[in-house]
Amino acid sequence: MSNKPILQLLIYGAVCLALLLIPAFVDDAFLLNKFARYLIFGMLAVALSLSWGYAGILNLGQATTFGLGSYCMAMALKLKTVPIHTGAEGLPDFMVWNNVTELPWLWWPFQSLPFAVAAGILVPAAFAALLGWFMFGGRVAGVYSAIITLAAMVVVNLIIVDQQSYTGGFNGITDLARFEVLGISFDAYARSTYLLVAACLTVALFAALAVTRSKTGLILQAIRDQEERVRFFGYDVARYKTFVFAASAAIAGLAGMLYTIVMEFASPTFLGVPLSLSIVIWVAVGGRQSLLGAMLGALLVTGVQGSLSESETFLSTWTLVMGGLFVLIVLFMPRGLAGIVSGLRRRGTARKAAAQQSGSVGATGAPAGRTA
Amino acid sequence: MDFVVSQLLTGLSLSSILLLVALGLAIIYGVTGVINLAHGEFVMLGAYCAWLLQTQLGWGLLPSLIPIFVAVALLGLAVEYLVIRHLYDRPLDTILATWGLGVMAQQIVRLLAGGELRYVQMPAALSGSVNILGATDSAYRLFVLAVALGLFALTWYVYRHTSIGLQLRAITQNRQIASSFGINAGRAYRLTFAYGAGIAGLAGALISPLKSVSPEMGTGYVVDAFMVVVVGGVQSLFGTVVSSGLLGELTGALAYLSNDTIAKALVLAAVVVIIRFRPQGLFTPRIRA
Amino acid sequence: MTGMAQAQLALRDVTVSFGGFVAVDRLDLAVNRGELRCLIGPNGAGKTTTLDLICGRARISSGAIVFDGTEIHQLSEFEIARTGIGRKFQVPSVFRELSVRDNLEIGSSRQHGVLHNLGRFGGAADRERLERLAELVGLSDDLGKQAAQLSHGQTQWLEIALILAQDPPLILMDEPTAGMTAHETGKTAELFNTLRGKHTLIVVEHDMGFVRDIAETISVMHQGRLLAQGTADEVSDDPQVREAYLGSGGIGHA
Repeated sequence: MSNKPILQLLIYGAVCLALLLIPAFVDDAFLLNKFARYLIFGMLAVALSLSWGYAGILNLGQATTFGLGSYCMAMALKLKTVPIHTGAEGLPDFMVWNNVTELPWLWWPFQSLPFAVAAGILVPAAFAALLGWFMFGGRVAGVYSAIITLAAMVVVNLIIVDQQSYTGGFNGITDLARFEVLGISFDAYARSTYLLVAACLTVALFAALAVTRSKTGLILQAIRDQEERVRFFGYDVARYKTFVFAASAAIAGLAGMLYTIVMEFASPTFLGVPLSLSIVIWVAVGGRQSLLGAMLGALLVTGVQGSLSESETFLSTWTLVMGGLFVLIVLFMPRGLAGIVSGLRRRGTARKAAAQQSGSVGATGAPAGRTA
Repeated sequence: MDFVVSQLLTGLSLSSILLLVALGLAIIYGVTGVINLAHGEFVMLGAYCAWLLQTQLGWGLLPSLIPIFVAVALLGLAVEYLVIRHLYDRPLDTILATWGLGVMAQQIVRLLAGGELRYVQMPAALSGSVNILGATDSAYRLFVLAVALGLFALTWYVYRHTSIGLQLRAITQNRQIASSFGINAGRAYRLTFAYGAGIAGLAGALISPLKSVSPEMGTGYVVDAFMVVVVGGVQSLFGTVVSSGLLGELTGALAYLSNDTIAKALVLAAVVVIIRFRPQGLFTPRIRA
Repeated sequence: MTGMAQAQLALRDVTVSFGGFVAVDRLDLAVNRGELRCLIGPNGAGKTTTLDLICGRARISSGAIVFDGTEIHQLSEFEIARTGIGRKFQVPSVFRELSVRDNLEIGSSRQHGVLHNLGRFGGAADRERLERLAELVGLSDDLGKQAAQLSHGQTQWLEIALILAQDPPLILMDEPTAGMTAHETGKTAELFNTLRGKHTLIVVEHDMGFVRDIAETISVMHQGRLLAQGTADEVSDDPQVREAYLGSGGIGHA
């Protein structure tokens, strides 16, 4: 956002601190649950901003990795629901209904919660790394890579819906146990869950910030600007793009796991086209080239949407308005709201610089003239 | 034998729908390079127009076709003028903008016509069935096939044998040089977009008696259409026909062997692989390494 | 061509054709370590294509390209760059959305790894080196400026500085003075003369005055082939070269 890293760190820190302090002022469990959901969407926006805003990879299937993370968590929590929502020999209820007689091998490791948590980050990251390697290794870029991400999401979604006896199919995985770690129980409506989400968001945001501020982040931006040129400096562009694509997926996977905890179920709609489109809209509104902007964009849009959600007509109208706003932003404001902020600031510094320049007599002429 | 023929006919029917839906997208993409993600919504609007004319004015489907084509084409013209023409040099943003437009179209329809499924009556004259080599097929499906092929022939003729087609081909080769010879590329793009949208609307109207009509129906079609275009090759109208035929039969066969869902997933996965290894399409010769 | 055996870069019988059009035709070219070689020729002679072939932007149809004893023509672009070859493009290509300082940082590419660069946040040693480079090309006051805001000449200078930050043993320069004022061109010649010996340079140029200022050996290409090679006076007296430039107003106006 700016060239003053300290100022940027302070702003990011202040926003995160404010989010962490919200439970001190809000007591309503339903409201906290709602806020936790918004924060998770904020994480998704950070993930997309990382790949789209910084590396130019428009991921129209960001929800794929979100959904994979959420299923990892749901599988583990389902296996903990002994014995109420499980059938004979500890099988999940929907498997019993589908005449599955023993636990499929894919489910075995999810009996361990630590494994599930690791998988919730690593499975999406590995999926993205594989897809990224497949696309970027073959120099598929721009529009075509966007379409591939979209198609890949639909494929994964169809498979999950189709394999009902192993995934719960269209209904998803419901009736889950509570997530418990170190004796702390994370009820969907508890303060502890909100704090967990806010803490994860903070970690994700700062990790993403570190990536963008590192030299790797710089090279990614160069790739976004002019991919071919970067190769002639000896950087392996495919590897850089695959890395950021996987890093973005890891954040989305974490968000997905949290979403399962907050929603108390996992569903194929979590990796659907509508959610993916929403993520793109949040990031476009907030400003794709600013992690914080993208995150605040998500909070703003989902927040307004949430407060309108009492009325179906309102919600429909809102979606219509969002669609129109989105088209306008794409047309006229590619940097989103964050672009307005930094634009104002740049104008401010330019004015200051102009004032200084007119003060100093004989400002330099041709640039090459200064070399000697 | 009956079985093979009827399986082939099922595939052919799927193919004709694919061709109808993909033709408009192929024209727009081939000439202007715009991937129109709102294409499915043009199809959906065509279907709703048919429903509206039938339920409100009592028009049959056949007399409605031309007014529907004109109406959706005019809408396409407006969309090109207001949005698309600003984005010709920003391909990623056209995807986003057309996606947004699609959402808007869906919402408008949902607000005005409601979210429930709607049904359109088949023309009475075509509601019978025809016997072909021992298998029966509905007359209407054959009619749709005929219209699809007819539209293709018309488009091909315009593209190959008229002066406007020549202009389009020149622009596709090199827009700047074409402009310097006095060809109005902006106008040509606008007409192309309108024509593609109109055909999509027509496709929606023709499909409406075969499927239920809903605000979300376009989403599936845009994926199918894009698939056809990618497999067939961007610059090749004949590729579009061949790939519609191929994909229609393939989907039909796969759906028979496994089920619809997996058939769809497999075809999509194949498309992903094709984009990766032959982005110019299967039926386009490689011009330059 | 006695230096062929120990030449740092050697193109051997290199041919490339694009859909039937032969752009480079059985070209042999050898450049010694530390040499400053100018490559000239009428439009369409295949000069830029030759540079493209060396750095991997285009692929040869037959022949071999050897750099420092290893064949490089099958490597991908980034691998070729890592063997120590830098390229400046005809249309100056810098990262327009990034600041001049960030551009230079990307240019200094001794470490290529994703994970290695993940742990780097612009150390003091780097900063000093980059500031020296910026000074060398007259961009000291513009380090914070977005590259898109530079003038055309400044952009050319920035790309040259990027290559210097990369610090490759072999530098390929495609029309480095295009769009520069006479004064800027003079400065560029000065700079190139200081690079002589430390780097091997291959410079494609149209400006014969500039070529005379810097070149020891000039290679003249015509229709994809090497037509003549020698000092400025030798090549401009060569009857074949005069023939090739006929109609384009002589060698000085190529």
